[in-house]
Amino acid sequence: MVVAVLFLRRVVAARAPRAPVAFATSRRPLRTSPRSRAFAKELFLGKIEKKEVFPFPEVSQDELNEVTQFVGPVEKFFAEEVDSQRIDREGRIPNETLEKLKSLGLFGMQVPEEYGGLGLSNTMYARLGEIVGLDASIAVTLAAHQAIGLKGIILAGNKEQKARYLPKLASGEHIAAFCLTEPSSVALLNGVFCVRSGSDVASIKSRATLSEDKKHYILNGSKVWITNGGMANIFTVFAKTEVVDSDSSVKDKITAFIVERDFGGVTNGKPEDKLGIRGSNTCEVRFENTRVPIENVLGEVGGGFKVAMSTLNSGRFSMGSTVAGMLKKLIEMTAAYACTRKQFNKSLGEFGLIQEKFALMAQKTYVMESMAYLTAGMLDQPGFPDCSIEAAMVKVFSSEGAWQCVSEALQVLGGLGYMRDYPYERLLRDSRILLIFEGTNEILRMYIALTGLQHAGRILTARVNELKSGNVSTVIETVGQRLRDSLGRTVDLGLTGKLGVVHPSVADSANKLEENVYYFGRTVETLLLRFGKTIVEEQMVLKRVANVLINLYGMTAVLSRASRSIRMGVRNHDHEVLLANIFCAEAYYQNLFTLSQLDKYSPENLDEQIKKVSQQVLEKQAYICAHPLERTF
Amino acid sequence: MSWAQAILLARGLSRGWGGIFGALSGAPFSQVPLRAARGLHGSLAARNSDSWLVPPPPEPRKGPGPTKALALHEELFQQAPEGARDKANFVRAVQNFGQHNVHKRGHVDFIYLALRKMREYGVERDLAVYNLLLDVFPKEVFRPRSIFQSIFIHYPRQQECGIAVLEQMESHGVMPNKETEFLLIQIFGRKSYPMLKFVRMKLWFSRFKNINPFPVPRDLPQDPVDLAKLGLRHMEPNLSATVTIYQMPSSKDSTGAADPAEPHIVGIQTPDQQAALANHNPARPVFVEGPFSLWLRDKCVYYHILRADLLPPEEREVEEIPEEWNLYYPMQLDLDYGRSGWDDYEFDIHKVEEGPVFAICMAGAHDQATLAKWIQGLQETNPALAQIPVVFRLAGSTGELRASSSGLEEPPPPEGQEEEEDNQQRQQQGQS
Repeated sequence: MVVAVLFLRRVVAARAPRAPVAFATSRRPLRTSPRSRAFAKELFLGKIEKKEVFPFPEVSQDELNEVTQFVGPVEKFFAEEVDSQRIDREGRIPNETLEKLKSLGLFGMQVPEEYGGLGLSNTMYARLGEIVGLDASIAVTLAAHQAIGLKGIILAGNKEQKARYLPKLASGEHIAAFCLTEPSSVALLNGVFCVRSGSDVASIKSRATLSEDKKHYILNGSKVWITNGGMANIFTVFAKTEVVDSDSSVKDKITAFIVERDFGGVTNGKPEDKLGIRGSNTCEVRFENTRVPIENVLGEVGGGFKVAMSTLNSGRFSMGSTVAGMLKKLIEMTAAYACTRKQFNKSLGEFGLIQEKFALMAQKTYVMESMAYLTAGMLDQPGFPDCSIEAAMVKVFSSEGAWQCVSEALQVLGGLGYMRDYPYERLLRDSRILLIFEGTNEILRMYIALTGLQHAGRILTARVNELKSGNVSTVIETVGQRLRDSLGRTVDLGLTGKLGVVHPSVADSANKLEENVYYFGRTVETLLLRFGKTIVEEQMVLKRVANVLINLYGMTAVLSRASRSIRMGVRNHDHEVLLANIFCAEAYYQNLFTLSQLDKYSPENLDEQIKKVSQQVLEKQAYICAHPLERTF
Repeated sequence: MSWAQAILLARGLSRGWGGIFGALSGAPFSQVPLRAARGLHGSLAARNSDSWLVPPPPEPRKGPGPTKALALHEELFQQAPEGARDKANFVRAVQNFGQHNVHKRGHVDFIYLALRKMREYGVERDLAVYNLLLDVFPKEVFRPRSIFQSIFIHYPRQQECGIAVLEQMESHGVMPNKETEFLLIQIFGRKSYPMLKFVRMKLWFSRFKNINPFPVPRDLPQDPVDLAKLGLRHMEPNLSATVTIYQMPSSKDSTGAADPAEPHIVGIQTPDQQAALANHNPARPVFVEGPFSLWLRDKCVYYHILRADLLPPEEREVEEIPEEWNLYYPMQLDLDYGRSGWDDYEFDIHKVEEGPVFAICMAGAHDQATLAKWIQGLQETNPALAQIPVVFRLAGSTGELRASSSGLEEPPPPEGQEEEEDNQQRQQQGQS
């Protein structure tokens, strides 16, 4: 991370004199203020870090004009030339499509301009993602290339590595792939089958050993499910190396390498047959005695873990806008159908149950769009804030929203949505992967909750220890606070009011957010008091904490965006107010329920029973209830 | 009614009460006076029949009189000596009784006799036969007509006989059905003790039928290999365990008496056990112990285990969570406070730790040569076993329950050394 930060500072400094650069972070005024505190982490303490999220981030007019100019041809290309059905059916992206994508510069969106990329800010990258998202196979191919494949080089590579690899990668001449997941075989009843573990670093068996002359690493190992594995020339590979520790003991540690296909010994299996994103190339990549020069170590030797983690963390926020772009298109298509199709002399859109689905789709799209651009704006702020929690929340919310909305759209379409001649079933298949890759949503929920709890836990250490040791004044203070809370105090965190950051039209929702945030902070404190560091084992509790936090972040994002829209007089801002208020109310009640589940002895909390059921099922590895027709006499 | 008659009646009543309540409650304390009261059906013979309510067969040393009386209907079962003792013949015998005896004289004796004969004919688990037996009772005769009749047991001997039929059904796990109920109502009426027994059976049978979480099939496999597989699966609840047949019995045709040279060897091992064995410190020996007995219904099988001693606390490796393990979320929080006492639901249980068991096997012979073959077979899937010395701690003769725990016995040193040498030889062979 430090390397990355230093590097990025350098880039910014290097770019500063190049004034007429079109899209650039260098356009932003360089503030020297101390690094602001991350918004999501502060929520765990029951505080809203207003400066971070209000007002909604904006881009300058010039920047906007230029990106609009750029967006135009890309949009046209996707609308006219990309045949998603063909890509899905044939299981590959045609070469001419790839060439066109390269010529549009889409392979180097975030590569700095000095290395031949577009050098887009995160916000602009998100904007282009909306269009790229119209075809999931292309979106995944591009994301594997630049969001994770070459991201390691940008974040952790040194100057030589960047100069050597980035220009060709940015132009699309070379394609990158990110090789982390490995097969690990588990013997089972009937023979052997493979289990792939993506998040378990201990399962990495690939090994790089230093050659005799100490100029090369000999890389051996096999990686599975590598997107772009069949067409990539540059691989970011993670392998175990022996590292001498500070206490002069030899340990196995993960190191990241930049591996070219031309190094030799790189082979790949046949493309996997997948449920969705069939046009993307996913296959096994094997390395046999591949000689990797020591200059190609990415970051430090033994520092691969950090490289992998920061790469993965940085790539997530863009899913929000990508999904939003897809959903906007889907709403258009579905709405056209709902308005033309007649049933019982009424158009489909006149039925309440259909209207509900469109409202849901619009609301989810609005929220995920707001979250995505809020996060992108935060990431674009100088000082390189750590927004990994926010990015993870965007990923979880948008992937689940996508699955839900596509499913509802199919419901509107009825049997039509199920037919292969129409694009809808493909969208459903494609959107299923969103819940799984880039860290499954379950794992990201753990990340969201645990990272926040770690932050809150450190700050609350003194208080918790005082409470545990029975410090009278702290105990009395806490009891008094709880008593006041239970009597129903109105929470004011300063969002509303005369000089409030939130517009009065959404003030009610802002009050709901404030109340939720306050009680969330209280709950977090109680949870830490109850479980301490053993909360890591309480996954169901952590899931709830994450769910509340995602809702809180969504509420903040829509309130911030809606307030800005009203104040600026954006077109259809009244619609935005409606969506914001609907979402906030729903999320508020959901949060209340979830928070009450987190109480001790809560009747809403069925975790113990749920655990018991799954234990019994897993013990027998079957559904164990007797058949309803069975009798004992 | 004379004085003597009154006493007789009272005695009969008390017998009836005792017998019936004993059968209904099944409580042990009621059996003691009951046996004394059971003089009606003969001596206090040991309970070798299926149910103590069924009188034992007559003793031959008794005079010809009672033998003749008790074997009154014996000829019905001996009519077809050439015929097989099967259900058809049993049913024929019961039907013959009905035909020969229009007035059903002596039906209680006949039913007791039939109950005793059921096992011989192999119909002791056949519900239809029990219903047929109940059908022997004359209908409507024993139904109480007034409340007093039902308070003072009406026809106690017949009721007791009816209960005996149900009791035998119970001990064989036969669930009565609607027809049984209908017959009992017809014979004894609703407010009778057989009916009460029936209701209780219906209540408890249905609840207890599936109470055993580890059910054993009613008919055990005859093949010793299959039986061993069943027994091993029965002992190892982990479904991912693998059963391996290391050696099939050489002479398969002669069931039971397999060739002693090549007895069957069947083993079971879970993946966890495999991993534990792979991590076992080769400096510490592992032990083959046994035979231990396992009862599967009426069969006793013997098994051996491969185990090691518990590691002394100083040698145990504390598993620490590596910092760089999970790419996505922290596996532990860096906080200096733990779970509060209010949320700690762990009971304070004193646990006795035992050493690990690595595998279980069942073999046709319990000698060291056979078990060495098992260890040899295990080495194919557990290469680490080749490096570990194996000590055989076998109890004396086979087929006996072991009285003392093996841990107290010192392993015969020559055996262990031999085996260690064997192992070393094998290792060398493997390396060469």
